[in-house]
Amino acid sequence: MSLRRPASAQTILSSARKPGGRSSRRALWLGLAFASPFIIGFLFLFAYPIAASAFYSFTDFNLFQTPRWVGLDNYSQMFGNPTFWQSLGNTLYLTVIGVPLAIIISLAGAHLLNFPVKGQPLYRALVYLPSIVPIVVGGYLWRWLLNTQYGFLNYFLGLFGIDGPAWLQEPDWTKPAILLMTFWTVGGTTIIYLAALKDVPQELYEAAEIDGAGAWRRFLNVTWPMISPVTLFQVIVTLIAFLQIFTQPFILAQERLNTPSAGPGGSMLTFAMSLYQNAFAFLKMGYASGMAWVLFVLTLVITLIVLATSKKWVHSANN
Amino acid sequence: MVIAPLAACSTGDGGDGSQGPTTITFSYLWSGPEAESLEKIIADYNASQSEVKVIGVSSPDFQKQLTSMSSSNGSFDISDNFGDVVGSWASKGILAPLDDYNIDMSGFVPSSLTQMKYEGKTYSLPIAIHSQLLMYNKKMFADAGVKVPTTMDELADAALALTKTDADGNIIQLGLGEAAPGATQRMIAAAFGGSWWDKDGQPTPLNDGNIQAMTWYQDLVNQIGPDKIAKFVAGYGQYQSDQDPFFSGKLAMRIDGEWNGVGIPKVAPDLEWGVITIPGASSQFKDTTEVTASTLFIPANSKHKEAAAKFLAYMVSPDAMKAFTVALGNMPALTSLLDSSADYSAIENFSVFAEALKSPNAYAPSSAVSAGEYMTDLNKAFDSIASGNETPKKALEQVESRVSSYSK
Amino acid sequence: MPTISAPVPTVLHADVQTPRRRTPSRHRLRQVRRYILVILLALIFLFPLLTMVSTAFKLPSDVFHAPPSLWPKEWTLANFAEAFDQIPVWQYLANTLFISGMSVLGTVLACPLVAYALAKVRWRGAKPLLIVVLATMMLPPQVTMIPIFLIWNGLGAVGTYLPLIIPAFLGTPFFIFLIRQFLLGVPDELIEAARIDGASEFRTYATIVLPIARPAIITAAIFQFMWAWTDFLNPLIYLNDASTYTLSIGLYSFFGQNTVAWGPLMAACVLFTLPALLLFLLGQRFFIGGISTGALK
Repeated sequence: MSLRRPASAQTILSSARKPGGRSSRRALWLGLAFASPFIIGFLFLFAYPIAASAFYSFTDFNLFQTPRWVGLDNYSQMFGNPTFWQSLGNTLYLTVIGVPLAIIISLAGAHLLNFPVKGQPLYRALVYLPSIVPIVVGGYLWRWLLNTQYGFLNYFLGLFGIDGPAWLQEPDWTKPAILLMTFWTVGGTTIIYLAALKDVPQELYEAAEIDGAGAWRRFLNVTWPMISPVTLFQVIVTLIAFLQIFTQPFILAQERLNTPSAGPGGSMLTFAMSLYQNAFAFLKMGYASGMAWVLFVLTLVITLIVLATSKKWVHSANN
Repeated sequence: MVIAPLAACSTGDGGDGSQGPTTITFSYLWSGPEAESLEKIIADYNASQSEVKVIGVSSPDFQKQLTSMSSSNGSFDISDNFGDVVGSWASKGILAPLDDYNIDMSGFVPSSLTQMKYEGKTYSLPIAIHSQLLMYNKKMFADAGVKVPTTMDELADAALALTKTDADGNIIQLGLGEAAPGATQRMIAAAFGGSWWDKDGQPTPLNDGNIQAMTWYQDLVNQIGPDKIAKFVAGYGQYQSDQDPFFSGKLAMRIDGEWNGVGIPKVAPDLEWGVITIPGASSQFKDTTEVTASTLFIPANSKHKEAAAKFLAYMVSPDAMKAFTVALGNMPALTSLLDSSADYSAIENFSVFAEALKSPNAYAPSSAVSAGEYMTDLNKAFDSIASGNETPKKALEQVESRVSSYSK
Repeated sequence: MPTISAPVPTVLHADVQTPRRRTPSRHRLRQVRRYILVILLALIFLFPLLTMVSTAFKLPSDVFHAPPSLWPKEWTLANFAEAFDQIPVWQYLANTLFISGMSVLGTVLACPLVAYALAKVRWRGAKPLLIVVLATMMLPPQVTMIPIFLIWNGLGAVGTYLPLIIPAFLGTPFFIFLIRQFLLGVPDELIEAARIDGASEFRTYATIVLPIARPAIITAAIFQFMWAWTDFLNPLIYLNDASTYTLSIGLYSFFGQNTVAWGPLMAACVLFTLPALLLFLLGQRFFIGGISTGALK
């Protein structure tokens, strides 16, 4: 797909279109008409719900009776609730460890996939394959792999003389288990990095070599800056994904009879899971709405921080 | 195979009566062989009269049940659950009161009716009641030369004596196991005179007896090793199947309910097992048992309440209740049936479970509005205690601090 | 070996050595090392899937056997039979197919329309709309999840497929953006020519733009299918009646009752994954191309 061609130059006719007058009004109607599906969707699925959820967060609402205004009660309850802090802590743990490792693994994988070896497309496909496996399938598959008696992970660890833990039963090891599962699906990021690596101009590497730089220096001085915009994008995307992580821990923590569970000692309770439980298991819709806003603000703040610091380490196109 | 593309509601046609039967949907939490037994009873009912046609659907997911009752398009007209949700659900207005449907409520075992009421109205009716006692593997006890325990100290000693490990220190046989996470801990509180609720059904996590019970439990677990136990539990087979840990000789003792009397003869007929009442820390606390009820209720958003009530009345009538409880190995909620234990002779040790219902120390869990949230927090505390991560007092204090935030 | 026909530039890698510093044997050694590393990488990612397939074909005694082995001692179809017995596989398959298909339809109809408004219609709202589209991609779905549930509930649509299908007909920001980027690369002359010929804007859109945008639209369609196929949270919230379940909820429900039925569970997982796998094999270049472009722009 030739999506990387820059937008072609404006035609003379279109650039000669005057800003005001009939044609621009017509253009307005046209624009609105074509964009109407999204505009309708935006009103019903974004604008109204955002406002509504802000409202609900100040109410006590159990779904069956009319919401009752309680002011800041939900929020003060939240900040005094150890479960809230635990879910926040769990989520931040996964994020702070998961994001850098995911980036590192993807980047390393991309380098490997970039080797001049036969069968590149096959290896690339295999690395990406786990990403298209349904998450629920991946969850149960990993439960099986993590099984202490019959699973392969502890078997392989045993080959190296390591006594593997009871991954899903010991509170200290459940989050690493979740991380392992997420690392298995970094194929998408890897492919993106692979494309970015191929985009780095060869001349830069040659120039660096002439200057006597070894492989690691070449990575640090050429590769890393050149792909830093991609890294920024991936960091933000991965960050957002980890902050909202739900299905993986939900499936890994599932117990018999579908009772709401969160792993031993609540160690797998992520923020999104706690939100879901409060909303649909305890029917505390107001409280859950408040949690959603906390998540939103947290995501926004972290993203802005990343963007703000990005100027220091992201290499812009102007060298 | 029919796909109803956009509207997936399944309740049927017609009003009540005049043009043929009213179709109602009975969504139940049972599955597997229990569901099959239930379907037979439903088929019998449908064949016996022509006013109401019942379609049974097995839907074991608690949460789905709840969300279905909250939508304006409910997906069932009658369903089952346990009595402890009555307060919470009735207070939200999602249950239909049953007092006006002329169902005879005089024959029920009195202790089974207490959970069913909320603010003076009855919101569900019991179809089966359950008690939980200490089951033990006779052969393991005989082989180890251990006496059947009569006090909590003896129980701890027996549990330790009957726990075996292999050369690597991994457990191969556990003295006292659990039927479900947190179940044992919840139920031994009463053996120390503790209770998780006060007489109004409100949470009391820091009751003295509770702390003593949890300390007893934590001491026991620490002597065996929480990590080892976790690893052992991770390898359990399917509950109530032939791989069930108690059925397959991995557990020496387990506190569990009367339905084992149907499961064991069916899939593990060679197992020699006995049942005794749960010992007490002192004689005034002996013979405790947690009494729960499986109940039927009609959601407030049902469009066929009259027809559903007719079916409900049938299900709690003696013949239907007998058929149902015999098949599932549960105890009937009608006093008349309880006393005719001859019908239940096929269920091993039935009489012991039935007798337990009469004990003065039998209790039912609270059905207050806060029950669900409280249970979740309690289970988390139990988990923390069982893994040795926190002292009982600390873990239960955390639960206590949450009590004020529960919905009332 | 699957072929990928996306144009792959000739490999330019970072450690080309100048000839005088390289001996043939060292080069060969390095090549061997590279092969080992890459193949190892691919195997690590592939291995869990092999486990899934092998467990699906194993007898219970083989499944519950420690230490585990990859190759079944004896191959059996019993797990698949059991899975079909316990889970209404065909029904769930059909349900999931229906939902996914309808979502794709909605995406294919709506997203190009909006993308066209953002790329080719010169109107005042283009820039602001673009910002709105991008901003909505950043919003955590949890924020709107509850009010949207309440909206559907009020409309009596909880328990139906409507909440799962209708949103696709209103456009998805990611796909809108993807197609928009593609359309930017389409020369304006083609569109102008049609306009001069007197064609209405919509005719221009339908007859000229859509065919050109086909690769991007197909990419969007494929991704939308995969998202709908594998979706878990939305069916979890909105589907109550077991006969309407999708495969992801069907699996979830099955596991809730049979936490140790690994053989049938893995068999069911294989069945659930196969269509996605098939789609991937057929449309690889769209996958690889789509995400690369989506991210690099």
